[in-house]
Amino acid sequence: MSSPQNAGELPPRGPIKSPQDFAAGIFLIVLALIGIFGAFNLSMGKLSTVGPGMLPKVVAIIIGAFGVLLVVESLLSRGSRLAAWSLRGMVFVLGAALVFAATIRPLGLVIAGPLAVIISSFADAEHKLRSTLIFALVMTIFCGLLFKEALNLPIPFDSLDLLKPLHGPYAALKSTLKGLLFTIIGRG
Amino acid sequence: MFDLVSNLTLGMSVALSLQNLGLCLLGCLIGTLIGVLPGVGPIATIAMLLPITFGLPPVGALIMLAGIYYGAQYGGSTTAILVNIPGEATSVVTVLDGHQMARQGRAGVALGLAAIGSFIAGTVATIIIAALGAPLTKLALLFGPADYFALMVLGLMFAVVLARGSIPKAIAMILVGILLSTVGTDLETGEERLTFGWSEISDGIDFAVIAMGMFGFAEIMKNLENKENRDVVKGAIGRLLPSLNDMRQAAAPIARGTLLGSFLGLLPGNGAVLGPFASYTIEKKLAKDPSRFGKGAVEGVAGPESANNAGAQTAFIPLLTLGIPPNAVMALMVGAMTIHGIIPGPQIISKQPQLFWGMIASMWIGNLMLLIINLPLIGLWVRLLKVPYGLMFPAIVLFCCIGIYSVNNAPIDVFMVAGFGLFGYMLLKFGFEPAPLLLGFVLGRLMEEKLRQALVISRGSFVTFLERPLSAFLLFLALIIVVVAVLPSVRKSRDTVFTE
Repeated sequence: MSSPQNAGELPPRGPIKSPQDFAAGIFLIVLALIGIFGAFNLSMGKLSTVGPGMLPKVVAIIIGAFGVLLVVESLLSRGSRLAAWSLRGMVFVLGAALVFAATIRPLGLVIAGPLAVIISSFADAEHKLRSTLIFALVMTIFCGLLFKEALNLPIPFDSLDLLKPLHGPYAALKSTLKGLLFTIIGRG
Repeated sequence: MFDLVSNLTLGMSVALSLQNLGLCLLGCLIGTLIGVLPGVGPIATIAMLLPITFGLPPVGALIMLAGIYYGAQYGGSTTAILVNIPGEATSVVTVLDGHQMARQGRAGVALGLAAIGSFIAGTVATIIIAALGAPLTKLALLFGPADYFALMVLGLMFAVVLARGSIPKAIAMILVGILLSTVGTDLETGEERLTFGWSEISDGIDFAVIAMGMFGFAEIMKNLENKENRDVVKGAIGRLLPSLNDMRQAAAPIARGTLLGSFLGLLPGNGAVLGPFASYTIEKKLAKDPSRFGKGAVEGVAGPESANNAGAQTAFIPLLTLGIPPNAVMALMVGAMTIHGIIPGPQIISKQPQLFWGMIASMWIGNLMLLIINLPLIGLWVRLLKVPYGLMFPAIVLFCCIGIYSVNNAPIDVFMVAGFGLFGYMLLKFGFEPAPLLLGFVLGRLMEEKLRQALVISRGSFVTFLERPLSAFLLFLALIIVVVAVLPSVRKSRDTVFTE
């Protein structure tokens, strides 16, 4: 949890004495406007028969009021600075999720999984490409075994049949392991 | 009394089946793992693992998820003691004296005390749940819509007071949560609300999506910014079993912490997080020599750890008896229950006694397992602490993506998680706390339903909330809490509690 007060960081001079609160207030006002706009055509109803629009509109208006309160307060009393945003983290972590969402259906986990791991790794400036690649491979195999083999989730695994040449050896390996397991249990 | 015994016997017979034992152990192991690892919390983990429970019978699924939740509380204290950073938010207090004990070469004793205290607290809390469960469900039947509404208002006010930072911001977050909960089809008229013509969200926004976005993705982005340096205690952990003298010193704090935590956990609005803080403050006040605190006082570990674990367990009571989830983890439990067709609330205990009592019995078994998992396996957890975050977070991203995709098999959900990740990150930057939003979202739909019902019954008069003694009392309590929290003197001490 980030502590809201960053001691020792005094904001610059100007009409806005607490940039963080000012931004927070504007943010709330925007949310309130979206809420009011989205519920605009819904009927309010009466108090005895509350309509679908009543709660969203009332709540949105109160949110807006809090936003105004924060903006006013930010002009009157000193507060913390707006902390710097890390664009790198945002781009690569969220980008990984977006790429996963776009590729999971058409390409399957075999492609989407490593992509998500590799792209998100770039969010860390100190990552090393070689270990990232190995890790992506290991994670994908692990997830395939866990979610597909063990848990049987209906997640698309290999939509393009890229791994077709491996099917034969994999089935052989599985039956050998099964046989081995049975002999051990059979003996015990 | 006889009822209690026979009920617990029924519960044991369910919980002791081989499959349920295995699931309980698995849950406890996963819980300890994520508890130990800082930056991975139970909220994101349970949201990730929801799809895994699809194929399980409902009792087993809930036993496993519950194990993750209270296992994380145990694991969090390990990190607090050994690394000087809390593995979970609730083990913040344990850092103070636990890590000092570790510095003095008494890490083992601190871990042992935390585990033993937690086990005792867990045992007592299990008995409390078993004893209070049945009477409270009867009480729940007395609750009308107005009373439910008032109770939820009380819970939300608690959440406001317990959130860090400014109170207006916390209230605004709750309201944003409620606003988000109205997205989707209106239950009474069938009209679409706030969907902006987007059919994907006409059923409303999935709680798992919000939870994972704001607690999984936003947390990752935040953690990547402030690189923590993990200063894992070097050298021997030392003997694990506390000496007789230590135990004598810890006995009373454990007892007090257990009672305090159990009570606070009962409160809606995540009162459980208050337990460790309250326990630490009390022990410090009661101690003959308060200056020992912060320098490795045994009481400062034993008390808060017991309170923490007791609260984590009794937090199940509002969910199982009233159907009101008191915190975000419990809200995910609601999600897990609905997936399996169980409606949380007073009817569970009469309609599904195996589920109710099986879950309670499994909690005690789980606590016993955790005692065993935590102490001898401590070396393994220490090694895990050395896994760098740079390797951990891509794995979390992948698990989140697979998990959320599998809930509905919908790629759109993964897009939305990314959206809420951005939203959560913005909130953090603006100094908002995400927890109240989650609670507002969870309770929002139920609150609106009850509010509308109450107003229909009273023909549009708000006086109904004051006429009914129960709702009047609850609203009065909510008012007192807010007034007290806004008072300058209390605000000051609240700030010191959180910054200490």
